[in-house]
Amino acid sequence: MTVLGEFALWIALPVAIWGMTLGFTGGRSQRGDLVLSAERSIYAVTLLLMLASAGVIAAFLGDKFEYWYVASYSNRELETFYKVAGLWAGQRGSLLFWALLLSFFSSITVFTNRRKNREFMPYVAGVLQGILTFFIVVLLFAKVNPFERLGFAPANGQGLNPQLQNYWMTIHPPTLYLGFTSFAIPFAFAIAALLNGRLDSRWITLTRRWILLSWFFLSIGIVFGMRWAYEELGWGGYWFWDPVENASLLPWLTATAFLHSIQIQENRGMLKVWNMSLVVLTFILTIFATFLTRSGLIESVHAFAQELRIAYIFLTFMGTVLAGSVVLILYRLPNLQSENRIESFLSREAAFLFNNLILLGAAFSVIWGTVFPLVSEGVTGQKVSVGPPFFQKVNFPIGLALLALSGIGPVIAWRRATRRNLEKNFLTPVIAGLAVVAVLFGLGVHHPLALTTWGLSAFVLVIIVVEFWKGTRARARIEGEGYAVALYHLVTRNRRRWGGYIVHAGIVMIFVAFAGAAYNVDVRQHVMPGDSVQVKSPFGHTYTLTYEGLSTSVGRGQRNLMWQAIAMISVAQDGKHLTNLTTEKRQYVTSQQPMTEVGIRSTPAEDLYLILSAMDDMNGALNADSSAQGIDLQVLVKPLVGWIWYGALVLTVGSLIALWPSVEKRRVAEAAPTGESVAVGAD
Amino acid sequence: MALFLGAALVAAAVILFIVQPVAKGLHASLEREEDELTETEARKRVALLALRDVEYDYLAGKLDEEDYRSLKGELTAEALAALEADERARSGAAGGVDEAAIEAEIAQARLGLREGAFCPECGFANEPGSRFCSSCGHALQATAAR
Repeated sequence: MTVLGEFALWIALPVAIWGMTLGFTGGRSQRGDLVLSAERSIYAVTLLLMLASAGVIAAFLGDKFEYWYVASYSNRELETFYKVAGLWAGQRGSLLFWALLLSFFSSITVFTNRRKNREFMPYVAGVLQGILTFFIVVLLFAKVNPFERLGFAPANGQGLNPQLQNYWMTIHPPTLYLGFTSFAIPFAFAIAALLNGRLDSRWITLTRRWILLSWFFLSIGIVFGMRWAYEELGWGGYWFWDPVENASLLPWLTATAFLHSIQIQENRGMLKVWNMSLVVLTFILTIFATFLTRSGLIESVHAFAQELRIAYIFLTFMGTVLAGSVVLILYRLPNLQSENRIESFLSREAAFLFNNLILLGAAFSVIWGTVFPLVSEGVTGQKVSVGPPFFQKVNFPIGLALLALSGIGPVIAWRRATRRNLEKNFLTPVIAGLAVVAVLFGLGVHHPLALTTWGLSAFVLVIIVVEFWKGTRARARIEGEGYAVALYHLVTRNRRRWGGYIVHAGIVMIFVAFAGAAYNVDVRQHVMPGDSVQVKSPFGHTYTLTYEGLSTSVGRGQRNLMWQAIAMISVAQDGKHLTNLTTEKRQYVTSQQPMTEVGIRSTPAEDLYLILSAMDDMNGALNADSSAQGIDLQVLVKPLVGWIWYGALVLTVGSLIALWPSVEKRRVAEAAPTGESVAVGAD
Repeated sequence: MALFLGAALVAAAVILFIVQPVAKGLHASLEREEDELTETEARKRVALLALRDVEYDYLAGKLDEEDYRSLKGELTAEALAALEADERARSGAAGGVDEAAIEAEIAQARLGLREGAFCPECGFANEPGSRFCSSCGHALQATAAR
């Protein structure tokens, strides 16, 4: 099976090249037979990559340690679940997995468009096969072939990094890859539009669902990563501006900008060059993110690869995409003129444009902060790392401006807003925001950034609620429907708009949680069994944490686990017993360092987060020496942090509403668009 | 041996599958389908949707009367232009351009606008005095926010 998989990967290369060539030439010469062959080649590559992936998984399941990749990421004791996930546990497998996902999405695109949008499809097939060709070339020639043999078969593998043996880590990378790969579809349609000359909003209309889908996967992929860091890394944070985290944030920032700016093109026929540039930039950033995370160029907890040749292949591909796209856009420039101009800075167009500029500003600051250490190292030989303070300083104001715009954008009038319009729509929300600031200030919240964030959050939430209320009321009044029915019809008639508002509400919740970090409490204390630690929550109550002692086990329990030492802590709030928490150190046979497992008690108001920072005498404790039970206990109180996950849930609901296929007529007779969303999509 | 056979089988199937269209002359269509929006149709549609949005904003109480009228006037003019452009493109595609028919339609649309018979639901320009939209059947007296 594994040998067949390797063979399939080699066959996939000429097939992908064939498809790319025939797609472009078929489109250029308008020959349907070449185009059909190109489209079929996409199905063929999908099948071949499935075989290759099955080969890798079979090698993992069969403990075939003669393969370098299997020997490096698995061992006999690894649970089956993680063996299957071995396909994306390391660099080599994940590159194959990337290509596999892209081939799935490509096949779906070709299949759903087999009888429509034919003017785009030759080039779409060509572009998609071009990207697939690139990944197959990387796999085969960049010394990252997952089928590479060691030349001998070790008795056992090195096992999987224990930090990766976590549920979130298993679903976090695939989710991000789904986001990265699905963005290739809008990119392919954009390039196809540049090639076939159909430069109106058609390519956007066709790929709107893909754009949303990609954005959604990127968003929850990032949140999954935050969740993983929060639970598993054991330092109490969820975001450290780590280069790999930044890598996933970059395409998210530009995709968010794109998601908004296409609405201006669709509604007003403006920003055509801008949108083309954004789709190209976002696509390149998805490749860049893959490159950063999977080339080992930047050291971080995620990047565990060393090979450099891959870097040159990636850079060449990104350079080619960039140069080719720029040439195409310049060539089509005369046909990409705006149909309208921005009439006023007080208009929805302007709000969206500001949103775009700010998001791009954020993206460039993050690129700079991520790449600067590399450049610096290249020039001076010194590795300078740009820490969280840089990113925070730059991105706090950016985040606040975006938060404000997420409220302003949806309600400000198109074209130009008059003073009356502004008063009518913004007076109540502004008063609400100021009221929240005043009340919080009265309650003793004096941190300026937190106050601003929560005030703005209230402003945006009130705007969203009022929008829903006004829409429902108007509908109920006019159609004579009950409020619940009216609300349901309101949302289903324009899923994109109302789903978008719900996504905004989710983002606001996440911002509320971010600002809570201003009131984090962090106490570290040495304790012996029976000792207590008092920690005061910013909400006023006091936790009393009593250390009950260590419970140790050696050589038992889970597979691959060498020993673990569990600190038992009983938690009381204002003298009343709440619960018992544990935090532990454990050592896997496969790693040098012991790892920390944290204890978390979550409530909507705050998380209590316990870390077993250090043990006085590890060997003594493991030998059940009762005098060696002293530990350093770190206690964090993290107000509102849970709202990140609740917000992500709301964001998911909103995205699903916007993505839900509406039962819509393909085209309504004679200039009569009765439905809200134009449902002629490539989905 | 079985492995070799399997590999040969996969390779042969793949090659046959992708070469067949070229060898046998099977063609994929490259034409725009009947029910796909053309550029002018898409533009017309956007113009009409914009009109409907303004209508909604007004009915939901987000725009006052004066702003509503000025925006609606502009949007109506744009929608009309888009309608005309689409009509021209379509008759152009069908062969001869029936100028008189277009003029008549535009005149009717303008009249409809004046008489307030421009359907708020779908944007169709109805004959003056219509009680229901000839295109979507919407009642023209009571406007709906959607």
